[in-house]
Amino acid sequence: MPEIRSAIACNLDADILSASLPLLEEERVEAMEWSFDTLFKVKEVPGWFEELLDVFSKEGRLIGHGVFFSLFSGKWLPEQQEWLQHLRNLSKRYSFDHVTEHFGFMTGADFHHGAPLSIPYTASTLAIGRDRLARIYDACGCPVGLENLAFSYSLDEVKRHGTFLEELIIPINGFIILDLHNLYCQLHNFDMTFDDLIKLYPLDRVREIHISGGSWELSALDSKRRIRRDTHDDTVPAEVLHLLQQTIPLCPQLRYVVMEQLGAGLNTPESRKGFYHDFVKMQEIVSTFNQKEALVKINTFLPVILPVLNGAIEDKELYKQQLLLSDILETSTSYNEALSRLNNSAIAHSAWNIEAWQPYMVETALAIAQKWKRKEG
Amino acid sequence: MKISKTLLGAILVGVAVQTTASSCTKKDKDVIKPQSEMQANEQPAPQNSDPACCPACGMG
Repeated sequence: MPEIRSAIACNLDADILSASLPLLEEERVEAMEWSFDTLFKVKEVPGWFEELLDVFSKEGRLIGHGVFFSLFSGKWLPEQQEWLQHLRNLSKRYSFDHVTEHFGFMTGADFHHGAPLSIPYTASTLAIGRDRLARIYDACGCPVGLENLAFSYSLDEVKRHGTFLEELIIPINGFIILDLHNLYCQLHNFDMTFDDLIKLYPLDRVREIHISGGSWELSALDSKRRIRRDTHDDTVPAEVLHLLQQTIPLCPQLRYVVMEQLGAGLNTPESRKGFYHDFVKMQEIVSTFNQKEALVKINTFLPVILPVLNGAIEDKELYKQQLLLSDILETSTSYNEALSRLNNSAIAHSAWNIEAWQPYMVETALAIAQKWKRKEG
Repeated sequence: MKISKTLLGAILVGVAVQTTASSCTKKDKDVIKPQSEMQANEQPAPQNSDPACCPACGMG
């Protein structure tokens, strides 16, 4: 197992930076993850922030984490081409040890709104995902990875997610970010045990682990059911730290453990103290495993065969379905309305398999889509 | 990793001199514009007061 680095997800955000300062001052932060595509509205990045990125970049400890690429959009969009060009430019400016993106397609009327939701696991979506990952590698020239999704519509999808992730990354010898809070969401939301779920993931391809906090929402459809949401606005639950202890020894190629929290959840002295203590606990767990020696052949996660890029693979029918689903989720005023529209739509009785979707997850998808949609005014 | 005291100081000043703008706000008027009289090291970091903005993951 290579040495595992304890990292923070940091960005040009006053609250995240304020919370991170004590950790930086104490020289605890061993790497930095930067969501490089979220600063699209910033006209000029301050020199001191660029210098912070440079510090980690020069030591090979800067990792990039995209948010808005929308890997599975059925149509190749101009904004995706621009995103790749932006990544290409940044990869000349900074040395990323690796670059990752999220699983899913983004709902939302434009490129910078919406949230990632899942897609059917079909030959078409597999081809699209592989094509897009190859393009990301072409732009950055470093190992490329994909993060598991917190949200799922059904237990079947939860069980197949790990295998589908592996099929996506194999052509570029890519890797997985195993987000343990996302896993925690699925364990709760689908009543699975850790032992049953973790073995369904390609653990020899986990190069990065995420930990974070989230929140609980009560289902309006089932008063006894609480849904775990991956909102990144609270401290890391003890259960997730325990998952970290259980998972690290199963991942022989693990290189980074990254703690995430949104700035909106770090705007009080108490929350910042919690952030500090969570990082220290995370680092203590990581260090116990760094002290153990293990002989393992390191996977560089660079492609063995360089991908050949032709025209971007598209599925126009899938794209129409994605737009339709986004519209239903963003504009329905109730679960019943959403259900009725879904059942009478073109995605009924299709590969989306909406008939198997758990009602409380449709309810959650509604909440996610409407939280992140573009607001008028 | 060691971060120089100078850089730490610049970060501290940057987050102290904060605006209410967000790095991913939807309104153009809230976009941070550099102030010409400010030194580069004093450019502020945006403060995100809207939990719906700046997802950077956490969109679940």
